[in-house]
Amino acid sequence: MNETTQATTNNPCDIFVRGAKKGFNLAVGNLLPNILMAYVLTDILNRIGFLKLASDVFGPLMVIFGLPGEAVIVLLTTWFSSSAAIGLTASMVAAGSLTPHDVTIMMPAYFLLNAQIQYMGRLLGVAGVPARYWPLLMLTSLLNSCCAMLIMHWFVV
Amino acid sequence: MEEEKKIPPAESQTESLRIGPKAYIALIVAIVYFSGALANVPDAKWLAAFDFSTLMGGFGKVKEGGTFLGSAGVGARQGFLFALSLAPGVMLALGCLEILSHYGALKAAQKLLTPLLRPLLGIPGVTGLALITDLQSTDAGAALTRELYEDKLITKKELVIMSSWQYSGAGMINNYFTIGSGAFAFLIAPLFIPLVLIFIFKFVGAIFVRFMLNTVYKGDFRNE
Repeated sequence: MNETTQATTNNPCDIFVRGAKKGFNLAVGNLLPNILMAYVLTDILNRIGFLKLASDVFGPLMVIFGLPGEAVIVLLTTWFSSSAAIGLTASMVAAGSLTPHDVTIMMPAYFLLNAQIQYMGRLLGVAGVPARYWPLLMLTSLLNSCCAMLIMHWFVV
Repeated sequence: MEEEKKIPPAESQTESLRIGPKAYIALIVAIVYFSGALANVPDAKWLAAFDFSTLMGGFGKVKEGGTFLGSAGVGARQGFLFALSLAPGVMLALGCLEILSHYGALKAAQKLLTPLLRPLLGIPGVTGLALITDLQSTDAGAALTRELYEDKLITKKELVIMSSWQYSGAGMINNYFTIGSGAFAFLIAPLFIPLVLIFIFKFVGAIFVRFMLNTVYKGDFRNE
């Protein structure tokens, strides 16, 4: 990416174009393949029913955070996309399966756990973090979310 | 990218560089520009002309609402289009950063932020601008991070630590006020409490990762 053949003028417009060119190479060479991977992975996990399976397994644990079992579906959705999770939340509050109290507890988790699958590509892949550390970083996000929800639980009681 | 790459410590390369007032001005401009502080000043809307997110603009709408991405796309095709929609932001971020770093913004950041970031996260201050950018734009932050590594300003270990800071709660300010606003009506706690918690836990998480890299993954970084 560090092309040495480019003219090195000090005109701000030329400097901008040099940077934008780097940005384009990065977007096409790294961002695009990584996001494509994340989208396909998301699709696979959705199709094999991962969400349902995981909510059956982890639902009972929600008690720790003072949340109903259904909350786990929201948190797992957050893992794919926080905008989808917020949409789901709104419909669940309307249906009465979540209360504003529950939403308040989960609020930091929507973002600390935000779109981990997608950001694997958009962030870790683009930044060049070796895949070997991805599980560690995911675990960290999960721990962050759990701790933040515990604090929110204590805060809203 | 090779796993094991010998890289000289970040400081040794830049320590001798002189940092003039121009560099600090460039740094301040960079921080203000990427932080989103000027996006919505009530009495001076024109200041948005100097805000990253504002300048990233918006795609034209396809019929009633939505962008060229359409709605309910899935899989590789949707991923491809979505990635294309992110490209302008990355190009704009790197273009502006190129100018600002030309005037020394990165070096000024290194000098100012190293005393803070070094003890806390074990990363040099030069990473500060990428971290600030990540608060507003995940993709621009990731792009700046990669630049730092490719320019050999940070080591692989520092790359992993700063990425962990970015990964949990990426783009938090933007996401909180755009995506999160859909849930604001339900909140029974002050609006800023979850946001502050997210910010604190970004540091907590990165400190945890730093600890793990220094213990469990110690062998990986023996030659750095």
